[in-house]
Amino acid sequence: MSAIRGTVYSATTIRVPGIAHAAEAPFVVLLVDTEDGRRVLGRSVGGRGPVIGTRVEVVESRDSVMLFAAVAKE
Amino acid sequence: MSGQVYVAGVGSTTFSKHPNRSLVSLGAEAARAALSDSRIPVDAIGALFVGNFVGGIMTGQELLAPIIASELGLSYVEAMKLEDACASSAAGIRLAFQLVGSGQHHAVLVVGVERLTGAPRDVFTAAMTAAIDNDNEGAVGVTFPGFWGLVMNRHMYQYGTTREQVAAVTVKNRRFGVRNPLAQFRKEVSFDEVLSSDLIADPICKFDCCPSTDGAAALVIASEDLARKYSQSPVRIVGSALVTGPARVTGYRDITVHDGTVEAARRAYEMAGVDPEDIDVAEMHDCCSIAEIVDSEDLGFFAKGEGGPAALAAAEGRRHGRKVVINPSGGLLSKGHPVGATGCGQAYEIVQQLRECHSNQVEGARIGLTHNAGGTAAVVTIHIFEKMA
Repeated sequence: MSAIRGTVYSATTIRVPGIAHAAEAPFVVLLVDTEDGRRVLGRSVGGRGPVIGTRVEVVESRDSVMLFAAVAKE
Repeated sequence: MSGQVYVAGVGSTTFSKHPNRSLVSLGAEAARAALSDSRIPVDAIGALFVGNFVGGIMTGQELLAPIIASELGLSYVEAMKLEDACASSAAGIRLAFQLVGSGQHHAVLVVGVERLTGAPRDVFTAAMTAAIDNDNEGAVGVTFPGFWGLVMNRHMYQYGTTREQVAAVTVKNRRFGVRNPLAQFRKEVSFDEVLSSDLIADPICKFDCCPSTDGAAALVIASEDLARKYSQSPVRIVGSALVTGPARVTGYRDITVHDGTVEAARRAYEMAGVDPEDIDVAEMHDCCSIAEIVDSEDLGFFAKGEGGPAALAAAEGRRHGRKVVINPSGGLLSKGHPVGATGCGQAYEIVQQLRECHSNQVEGARIGLTHNAGGTAAVVTIHIFEKMA
C-alpha cells in the first residue's frame, strides 16, 4: 500500500503546548494538501519542519497522528 | 417589523489580574456600572445574559446568570449563560438585540466576565484547549497560537506579508493602550522587543499574543422608548450578525480568509445599510497580531494581502488609505482578553468613541464596528453602532 503523499500547505512549531502534549514540545504541526484532494493536519518527524510547498509523505501513524517526512529526491 | 435597539448604558471593571475576585463579584461590578450609566430602572430589565467561557473550570462556579441576577436584586428575569469561547458576551449582545428589536423585552442586561488567573497553571492550560475540536483535532496538539502560526506562515507565503508588518500591530496597539485606563498593558513596546520575545508557535512570539486577563464588562440594551427616556447618551445598534466559520483547522479552504468574518460582515453591513468605507472606528479580535491583519482584510477595510502594509503604516503614523482607526482601545493585545468579557468590552469602547469621550478619541467618529471571534474563527459576531443624531 502506498503512503499518503501531499504538499505542505502551512506549518508551525509548537513550543508552548497544551497540557496533554507537554512532554512532546517542541513539535512541528503541518497542514498538508494530499494527492487525493484532502487537507489534513499532522506533524513533521523531527524538530525542523519542511517549508511550504515541500512534497511530503506519511512515514508513521502514531496515536492517530500522521507523521510526515519530506519525500526523498528521486 | 422590528424596533430600533440602543445601548443605553455601559460599565466595566479594569482588565487586569484580579485573582482574588470571584466571577460574581466582577460581573456584578460591571453590571451595576452599566445599570447606573443607563439610568433605566432595575425592574425594567427583562433578561440577563452572561457571557463566560471557562468559569466553571477556572473557579468552580457555574449557574452564573441566576446568581448574578440575585446579587443585583433582579426579579423574575430570563437569565442564562452563553458560551461561544472568545465571542461569548458578543453572542449575548446578539441575542439581546434580537429580543429587544422584536419587542420581547424592553431592556436586557448583557454581562461578559472571565477570570483566567488564580488557578494552577495546568488548570489554565487545560481550559485553553477547550475550544479546539478535540474529537477531531485534539491529538495533533495544535494550540490557538499554533492555529495563528499556520495562518501567519501562509499569509506571509501568499502575500509577502513581513514579520515587521505583523509586529506593527502589537507596537500600534500597545501605544494605544498607554492612554486607556482600563487596559492591562499601559507601556509601549518597540519592534525589537516584539521580535525578540520568546517564540510560542513559530514565527509567533509572546508579544504577538494577547495576555491572560481577568475582568468584566456590561451593556444595557434597550428599546428606543426606554433609551430616549432615561439614557443620557444612547448609541444605536444598526447592524448585528453571528455566524459560524470552520471549527476545524482543516475546515479552511484558504486559511488566510476567515469565512465566518466575511459572511458576518456581509450580513451586518447589509442590515446597517453601510459599506466598509463608512466605518470610522473598529474594535477587532487581535488575539494574535496576525489576526488583526487578516480581520482587517476580511472586514473589507483592505484588499486581501494589503493588511500588512496598512498595519505598518498605522504604527508608523502614516496614512493607510482608509479612514478607519483600528483598536484604539489597545485591542486584545494591550487592553487584554478576559475571554468571556471581550465582546462587551469591545462594545464599551465603541460606545465611548461614539459618545466622543474616549481617551484615544477618533475625531468625528459616527459609525463604529466590533468584531469578536471565538476559537479558530469558528464563530464570529459583528455589531455596528451609530452615534445618535
